[in-house]
Amino acid sequence: MQPKKAPPDANAPKELGKPLVPTTQINRIRFSPDGKMLVAACFDGTVKRWDVSGKEPVELPAITGHNGWVTSLAFAGNALFSTDSWGAIIASDVTAKEPKSWGVENAHDGWARGVSVVPGSDVATCGKDGFVRLWNLTDGKKFGEFDLKADVLSVCFAPDGKSLFAGDLFGIVRELEVPSGKVIRTFEAKELHRLDRIQDVGGVKNLMVSADGKTLFVAGAEPKSGGFVQCVPLMIAFDRSGKRLSQYKGVNDNEGYITDLAWHPDGYVIGTTSGQPGQGKFFFWKPGEAAPFFSGGKLPNCHSVALHPKGEIVAVSATNANSSGNGRVKDKGGDYPANNSPIQMWSVPKIV
Amino acid sequence: MLCTPIEHSLSRRRFLGAAGGSALSLGGLVTPAIAEKLRKERRQVLFVWLDGGMSQLESWDPKPNTPFGGPFRPIQTTVPGIQISELLPQSAKLMKHLAIVRSVSTQDNSHSAGVDRINRGDPKNRGVVYPYFGSAVSKLVGSNDSGLPSYIWVKPMNGGFIYKDAGFLGPKYGALALGDGKPPENLLRPKEITTEDDDERNELRKLLDTKYAEQRRKEFTEANTHAFEMAAQLQKKIELFDLSKLPQKDQDRYGSHDLGRHMLLARRLLEEGVTFVKVTSYGWDTHGDHFNGAASLHPKFDRPFAAIIEDLRDRGMLDNVLVIACAEFGRTPRINGHIGRDHWPEAWSVCMAGRGIKGGVVAGKTNDKGTEVATDPVDIGGLFHTWYKALGIDPKETEFRNGGQPLPIAHEEMKPVKEVLA
Repeated sequence: MQPKKAPPDANAPKELGKPLVPTTQINRIRFSPDGKMLVAACFDGTVKRWDVSGKEPVELPAITGHNGWVTSLAFAGNALFSTDSWGAIIASDVTAKEPKSWGVENAHDGWARGVSVVPGSDVATCGKDGFVRLWNLTDGKKFGEFDLKADVLSVCFAPDGKSLFAGDLFGIVRELEVPSGKVIRTFEAKELHRLDRIQDVGGVKNLMVSADGKTLFVAGAEPKSGGFVQCVPLMIAFDRSGKRLSQYKGVNDNEGYITDLAWHPDGYVIGTTSGQPGQGKFFFWKPGEAAPFFSGGKLPNCHSVALHPKGEIVAVSATNANSSGNGRVKDKGGDYPANNSPIQMWSVPKIV
Repeated sequence: MLCTPIEHSLSRRRFLGAAGGSALSLGGLVTPAIAEKLRKERRQVLFVWLDGGMSQLESWDPKPNTPFGGPFRPIQTTVPGIQISELLPQSAKLMKHLAIVRSVSTQDNSHSAGVDRINRGDPKNRGVVYPYFGSAVSKLVGSNDSGLPSYIWVKPMNGGFIYKDAGFLGPKYGALALGDGKPPENLLRPKEITTEDDDERNELRKLLDTKYAEQRRKEFTEANTHAFEMAAQLQKKIELFDLSKLPQKDQDRYGSHDLGRHMLLARRLLEEGVTFVKVTSYGWDTHGDHFNGAASLHPKFDRPFAAIIEDLRDRGMLDNVLVIACAEFGRTPRINGHIGRDHWPEAWSVCMAGRGIKGGVVAGKTNDKGTEVATDPVDIGGLFHTWYKALGIDPKETEFRNGGQPLPIAHEEMKPVKEVLA
């Protein structure tokens, strides 16, 4: 006798329309605060843009001027701040015909890892050079520089802008006072790092603070190995005093890193995981609960998630199928193919 | 997945036991006079093996701002017109000593077969197992005047006497592997045994060996005797392994991680005159999160690699020591879904320096995206020709003999990369 199939979860996210398929891989996607534009930080050094205000997304001219990879994105109104792996930060007015407002070519010595914004005032960036730097939002003038002496993978302002959090390769998060840079508190999540042979693996890949500013989410993975990098997704929720509140841990070491986070105003976290080849997913987790209330999505190797400001649509960037392979893999036309990152919109489940 | 050989842990007893355990036949040089000449010239090799495959795009052949170029910047080296990855800043400063072959194209994209193929030079199949480059050099150059084994392999994890490297040359030309850079366990005479007792024990062993040898093939007993001799040699040089006595500055320059410590030990062994020192670093098979892996791994290669070249130069040894940094393949231009690079033998790079090498040179090139070799491809057989020539060994005039069977020392249809030869 065949086992009965479980009834479909009426509340599960549903795919909305066809995926956007850029010709490049993507590090980050974000909606503009008015919800009319979706932007993507791409491996080809551009910020791709889509007008998503109509029935069908319409691609707009990309923002150029970066080198290497565009690594992170943050909005403040119409102002978009993007960083790249050669160390630059560029501020753009996404509504302008000539979008670039200002830029700092050597904001970091090499890979600028992350950017965070306090609307109306400050921009913070972090980098592989070990620094967190503060920039005036309107003109790009640097007004703070803090040497954390370790690869700083992620940065995030507290909602009030009075402090920021910086997470490093070794699983340490420091809360820094703005603008002094004084270390207010340290949060330890050392299980996010592993020294495997001579390779430092993992680190604090993502930081996010809940909208009420009370909870800090520190995310990455518990690495089991370097090289192939097998790791179990791990996100730890701290209160602002540094006390661990709860955590979400994946099931197995094929799930990969938590690659991106979004905070839903209903009080839960949406995240994506990188996964081993062909695996990866997005999940919805309410802090304090043992498991996500949704996890799946059939999306291989997810790298970013963006929540639409209305809270009803989430965009997830993943990877095309069959992206791995040793030697000279060829496509149907006989060419050596590049991979890409399809972006799929999903409905957001109603929390019961 | 990682596919690294698992060597067994080594005690002195096992070390000795393993040495006699192969039935492979011994080869020989055509002219002993040539071998003697080579010994006097003290030709040496440092072979740095980055197991799993270092990415050419994040090291010797960057392709910035191209579809497969990755996130890192290129940097200018001290040789105008030559750029390498920003992850190798110390090597960039020494470019005038380095030669890069960017047109390496080999035949195997699996670790299991690729490691052997590269190390044995992928000669024509003649139904024999060719020696690894270390064993071949050990045979062709000899043991110099160090009084130490001629082929020493410094590696993480376990050590042992790795006779399989020797192929048809016979176990005597295998590698003495120093697990974690340490001498074999129980190498030293226990304190409770007096020197006299130890001498008596050795006399008894030799007597028994002689009796044993009368009834067995020569190669078994030679290897057994060789292993005992190596143990005795190492006992006399035990201070070599104590790196803590070296200046702190040296230890800092090389790094305190495995690869740094092992490269520093390699320098010590080369200074002592060891003919062939191989240093292996594992964990370069970065199928996932490759770029963060490279950001961590490559500088840990760069610093000790540059440090040992500087030190060899400063000691006047770079004229004697051929330095090679190699792996079983490079890594795919295509970046996979979990942000890794897979195995790529099609178009990768090898770096070398020192004896017989013209520094400040790039030979061959890949196309704009790094997906094809754009000049004549160089297979490992061509690199073996290059390395032998750099050591002053002409593959056209030198051959192995496997019990009377003449065998070329490198693939006879391939040729050296002349651009990198001094």
